[in-house]
Amino acid sequence: MSDLLLDVCQVSKTFSRGGLLSGQRIAAVKDVSFQLDAGRPEIFAIIGESGSGKTTLSRMILNIETPTSGKLRFAGVDLATIRTGARRLAFMHKVQPIFQNPFESFNPLRRLDGYLFMTHRRFIAADWRGTPETAVDEALHKVGLSLKEVSRRYPHELSGGQLQRVAIARALLANPKLIVADEPVSMIDASLRISIVNLFKRLRDDLGISIIYVTHDLATAYYVSDRIMIMQQGSVVESGDARTVLNAPQHPYSRQLREAALLPNPQQAVL
Amino acid sequence: MLAETTQDYLPDEAQPILSVRDLRAHFRTDRFGVKRDVKAVDGISFAVRRGEIYGLAGESSSGKTTLIKTIAGAVRPPLEVVGGRVDFAFLPGYGGLHRAPAAEVARIRWRHLSYIMQGSMNVLNPVRRLRSAFVDFAYPHIGGSRKQFEREVVAHLARLKLDPSVLAAYPHELSGGMRQRATIALATICRPEVILADEPTTALDVVVQKEVLGMISGIRREIGSSVLLVTHDLGVHAHVTDRLGIMYAGRLIEEAATAEIFRNPLHPYTRHLISSLPRIGDDVPREGLEGAPPNLADPPPGCRFHPRCPLAMEVCRRQVPATLETAPAHRVACFAVNRSEEA
Amino acid sequence: MAGILRDLLRYHAEFRIGAALIAVVLLLSVLASFSPYPPQDVYVVPPDVPPSLTYWFGTTSRGQDVFWQLTFAIRNTLLFGCTVALISRILALVIGLISGYKGGWIDRALMSVNDTFIVIPLLPILVLFYFVMRDRMSWLLLALIMACLGWAYDARLIRSVAMSLKSREFTQSSLFSGMSTREILVQEHLPYVMPIVFSTTMNNMVWSIGLEVTLAVLGFTDINTPTIGGMIYWANQHTAMVAGVWWWIAFPTIAVIMTFIGLFLLAVSMNDYIDPRSRLRSFGGAS
Repeated sequence: MSDLLLDVCQVSKTFSRGGLLSGQRIAAVKDVSFQLDAGRPEIFAIIGESGSGKTTLSRMILNIETPTSGKLRFAGVDLATIRTGARRLAFMHKVQPIFQNPFESFNPLRRLDGYLFMTHRRFIAADWRGTPETAVDEALHKVGLSLKEVSRRYPHELSGGQLQRVAIARALLANPKLIVADEPVSMIDASLRISIVNLFKRLRDDLGISIIYVTHDLATAYYVSDRIMIMQQGSVVESGDARTVLNAPQHPYSRQLREAALLPNPQQAVL
Repeated sequence: MLAETTQDYLPDEAQPILSVRDLRAHFRTDRFGVKRDVKAVDGISFAVRRGEIYGLAGESSSGKTTLIKTIAGAVRPPLEVVGGRVDFAFLPGYGGLHRAPAAEVARIRWRHLSYIMQGSMNVLNPVRRLRSAFVDFAYPHIGGSRKQFEREVVAHLARLKLDPSVLAAYPHELSGGMRQRATIALATICRPEVILADEPTTALDVVVQKEVLGMISGIRREIGSSVLLVTHDLGVHAHVTDRLGIMYAGRLIEEAATAEIFRNPLHPYTRHLISSLPRIGDDVPREGLEGAPPNLADPPPGCRFHPRCPLAMEVCRRQVPATLETAPAHRVACFAVNRSEEA
Repeated sequence: MAGILRDLLRYHAEFRIGAALIAVVLLLSVLASFSPYPPQDVYVVPPDVPPSLTYWFGTTSRGQDVFWQLTFAIRNTLLFGCTVALISRILALVIGLISGYKGGWIDRALMSVNDTFIVIPLLPILVLFYFVMRDRMSWLLLALIMACLGWAYDARLIRSVAMSLKSREFTQSSLFSGMSTREILVQEHLPYVMPIVFSTTMNNMVWSIGLEVTLAVLGFTDINTPTIGGMIYWANQHTAMVAGVWWWIAFPTIAVIMTFIGLFLLAVSMNDYIDPRSRLRSFGGAS
């Protein structure tokens, strides 16, 4: 039995709003469990609408939020035990995020190189034989860009698609084993979406990186994921092999989602 | 559904309700000596017929948002209309709402022309009940006694299958989808001839989106309004619109009946766009387009798509292709396509 | 930096006027080094002489040349204002940024201290200090005390900006790039906070100079070192207005008003230029 890359075990998260006496408790995530194998890189899609808890779950996996109950283990290490700076750094070395809005992922007042070189310096430089420039250039090449194009640029000078690729390159510079992507293509033009999604496939196949792909878009999830987990109001309603689940959904909510997905095919127009 | 409408309900051909001719609208800024002229809308011509749902598809920096703003008359510096005209059948003569006097605009707004925006919270006052929105927007046009007006509003909501109890609610008490449907009811109560819808379902969940789009389709059936629907989501266009215009970098590069565009896209951009969309149940590997949409402050010369176009020729770099009727009711702006049709 | 100043000079009338006013004031303070009379001496020239060619701004009832006194006065006053502004900005920045970013109990602790300082009534405290310290109250000490009283309000402003920045995604990107807290605060958040720092610096200078003038006029400072307030104090002591020696009061007043207006105009125009929102708007265009 191979080791588990990620072990999410009965994780719940409840937010409380309001004062001591009259506060509201909102259960964002209820008792979610799933595992990712270390030996088998895969793309795992978490599907849900707003309020499904998928973003909260992804933040817990990134150790940005702590669960109210349950355990999250990455490569055997319980995330709750990561407290010191050094352990946090070691964790971030292996797990990196991609956010929804590429323009928000970078400080608009700073040049992009800063982030790339900093990531290289903090995570890789000790083991890297060449110059920082070659490392950054190599990472950018993996996403279809080059250092020459990106050097000294500000975020607003690039398109959404290019920026998101820079964000992926930055994540790659840490040499991670897991990338958690929260709606990475929803703010990107349709014509550029597929190239980012194809890039995820290459990351899995060529670099052995597992990707947790959080989205509400069933079509891209069908296209790129291996396994899929559908969430509604914080709980998992259905999970399994991506194609099996999406071609023949069992749960009523999954069926509803599948039917509501508007495919770009007028022949099947249902309105 | 689409097949049904083209047989049951042919939109009126003779007089378009909205006609846009060679419209040019630029953003001109001069800040600390740096002049920028962003050609957001650069020569767009099309017409919307009575009772049809016309879709405008385009990605970021295609200029579609600017186009809708210009048609709606929301033209304020740094946005300037530098050429062309926008004519409504019910407002002849001015060449655009931004040129008409305030009294005319007040007469038109909501009664003949209304809007559905992306965020319903942009329209509804968060501290007042929904009823007050109806009173503010529609009562000046409908008139009569308040009781009569209330009855009309309730009847209208019932027609659109909305529970009249929403009138007593505050916007934040309703879900996003409910709010958007209420906004649509608000936009249609005066039975306007033209409704401008800018990304009406983008922020909504997929299931809710289906209901809202059903409502928009229903508008055409119940009221006979024309809808100009702007969204980047081709899935929405496929299911709702009758005709579809594709925008790229401030120009209209293809226009035809929606079914025709999906079945037989002619412009290289449209072809790539449609073939790059993944579909559930379809395992075909797909490829994206190289490059990125151009910077509208400094667009490439000639055809704006030529740096990314697989069919680019010498002439594409030098001249702007005209939008020609390549096939019946199918306009395309592309030298390669139009030449091969000629030949 | 030079590019920014050049742009501002060329395109912003407010900046030009403000810079001109401050230039005049600075020139005056530089001239103090060339004064033929030591600042503290009295009866070195005939008293109560109106402005003339020999004595440009006239002379005081204490036998001092108003012009040369003014150069020393404006220099001391400006130095005082700058010192207070500098120290209190540093305090406000450090406390505001750390409090906003860290949150939790650190934030609560710092803000309790902050709120205590906000409610302290300034004038009574300063007067109290004067009465306790008397002759040991030097200008430096006064500047330090005022700096300690002047950071609280701005720290809260900076803290609220820091809090909003913390929730933005680029802060997470920085974290996952391996940046430490100090690096994030300085490299990512500081540029957003600079406009506040700038405009509050000018405010702070105006406030501290105003307070100093008030204290000096009332006689609660070391009145032997010439400052604007000190000059007005002495003028009042010799009932200058009644005696008709108007130039003794007029020129220091004009000088300090020029300083205030100049600082204000500079602050407003630099703010507009540096403000991230207006910079971002100038980047973006249409869609």
